[in-house]
Amino acid sequence: MKVYISDDSSARAVGADRVAAAFGRIKDAEVIRTSARGAFFLEPLVEIDTSRGRAGYPNVQPSQVPALLKKEPALISKIPFFSKQTRFTFANAGVTEPLSIEQYGFKALKKARGMDPLKILDEMKKSNLRGRGGAAFPAGVKWQTTREADGEPKYVVANADEGDPGAYSDRMIIEGDPYRLIEGMAICAHAVGAKKGYVYIRGEYPAGISKMRNAIAHAADAGILDHAFFELEIFVGSGAYICGEETALLESLEGKRGMVRSKPPFPAVQGLWQKPTVINNVVTFATVPDIILRGGDWHSSLGTEKSKGTMPLQLAGQIRQGGLVEVPFGITLEEVIENFGGGMPRGSRFKAVQVGGPLGSIFPKSLLKTRICFDEFAGAGGILGHGGIVVYDDQTDMADLARHFMEFTADESCGKCTPCRIGSMRAKEILENICKGHGTEKDLALLDELGDTMKLGSLCALGGLAPMPVQTAIRYFGKEFRR
Amino acid sequence: MLDVATVLQQHKSSPPNILATLQKIQEAIGYVPRGKIPEIAAALGVTDSDVAGVLSFYHDLRTHPPGRHILRFCLGDSCLATHCEKSLAVLEEKLGCKLSGVSRDKRFTLEKVYCLGNCALSPSLMIDDKVHGRFTPKNVATILRDYR
Repeated sequence: MKVYISDDSSARAVGADRVAAAFGRIKDAEVIRTSARGAFFLEPLVEIDTSRGRAGYPNVQPSQVPALLKKEPALISKIPFFSKQTRFTFANAGVTEPLSIEQYGFKALKKARGMDPLKILDEMKKSNLRGRGGAAFPAGVKWQTTREADGEPKYVVANADEGDPGAYSDRMIIEGDPYRLIEGMAICAHAVGAKKGYVYIRGEYPAGISKMRNAIAHAADAGILDHAFFELEIFVGSGAYICGEETALLESLEGKRGMVRSKPPFPAVQGLWQKPTVINNVVTFATVPDIILRGGDWHSSLGTEKSKGTMPLQLAGQIRQGGLVEVPFGITLEEVIENFGGGMPRGSRFKAVQVGGPLGSIFPKSLLKTRICFDEFAGAGGILGHGGIVVYDDQTDMADLARHFMEFTADESCGKCTPCRIGSMRAKEILENICKGHGTEKDLALLDELGDTMKLGSLCALGGLAPMPVQTAIRYFGKEFRR
Repeated sequence: MLDVATVLQQHKSSPPNILATLQKIQEAIGYVPRGKIPEIAAALGVTDSDVAGVLSFYHDLRTHPPGRHILRFCLGDSCLATHCEKSLAVLEEKLGCKLSGVSRDKRFTLEKVYCLGNCALSPSLMIDDKVHGRFTPKNVATILRDYR
């Protein structure tokens, strides 16, 4: 009997290895380590084959093995958390073995290598795929710019420096479906005329680094990555959030301090070692294979008017069912939290939600009807960012949370521009004072002014967005700052 | 155990990559001694300040010997939302050190980290390369048992 257990680091964080070991001691049980489904609230999740497809046992403890097999498992396809999703980019999640080339197939790459690069650029532009790392820039336009830019060699870089606390979709791909990233990057290389690529992975993801390393080696052995077409290398980060900013990432990849560069020139024209470089987020690249197989029109038929395709949302914080939810743009924040997240855990009450990481705005209950798409979020004064959704309960001290966000920015600012370097430190000090109960109305006004200066004067999105959670926390929970 | 000179010998690259070199040194001996900056700079053909600048920029690069295990406690948004501070206080008490310190028995270096990507199962911490999640102030200390 085949027993499927995830090898994902989150599943392992709650005991998947011990459960796998327990099944390993049972005769007739063949343990197969797959990627994670993304329904982390069910981990450790043990699945078996049935005549109606895979079925699973949630939250398994080693002591329940093998007795639990006598119970009726739940059909995966009938679990509402999965059945309500539209999975393309995460279609393999929980199904395949991360390093099996045979299971992955590389069909899109085979098709793409038979296509004229210009036709690939056409499909990419038709798809209206916007970068999933946070800036939402049209990927096809970026690719075309690099193709047309002067300078050789050209590079393709994947940004796997997924630093936004509350986000884990990149981690799931590099750990669970690494060939999808490789395939997306190789297609890009063919389209723009690059022969060399890098995957920049944050050091906090050791399991992802090792999976990606093995995947690249296997793909090279199988002739999928080859110096005649495209070669890939991994570069590991060293714990600097700012290196998720594309120009800081390139500096870091060159071995220097991760200091943000002034733009323009954009990396698409002058990137790594000043050569034309496509740098995209992991999820962006991972979406490419489906666009090649199904066509750009297919992708642009999903979603809202200006946000096309699906978005992997990552539920976290105080929520009953934390996990990855891939759905077309357009669903409301409330639907995501209620229908997929299952609402608040027992005994805790909703206070606020933050979308888009530590630079994302704090939304109160009144903004839960906001639809998940770039425009509506901007209209509501927020960002979608990389799709991390963190729910806070009524035990959260908003002033202390705001202090934390400015401490985070002060810790992580690269220091190149003054508004971010000095502004975050001063804002942190003011908020520390407010938390101690020494704040005045003047402090709040100063904080607001400082925030506007950071927004207008910072070089990159770190300083430019850092005031957002603080200003929105004050706007919606002002009472807590007047103590 | 490898020394700095051997690492520098083994990992020559062109153009020189300061960050990758410092990572290799830390991998080999656990930290990057500040006193070795001139030797590293000379081997790479860059200035002392180039090396010092990279060394001070990255949170993960250490200039002092760490404990036997690196315990990175997550203070990311999701972990704060699940009130991880209470568990951190328990660990600090148990280890006898604060964040950025080394435990009394030199078993652990306690560091903060902003996100381990385990947000759906917060709160989270990582010891060496293994992530642990969904702990409470009551059971967080039991995680330490497996590390000698």
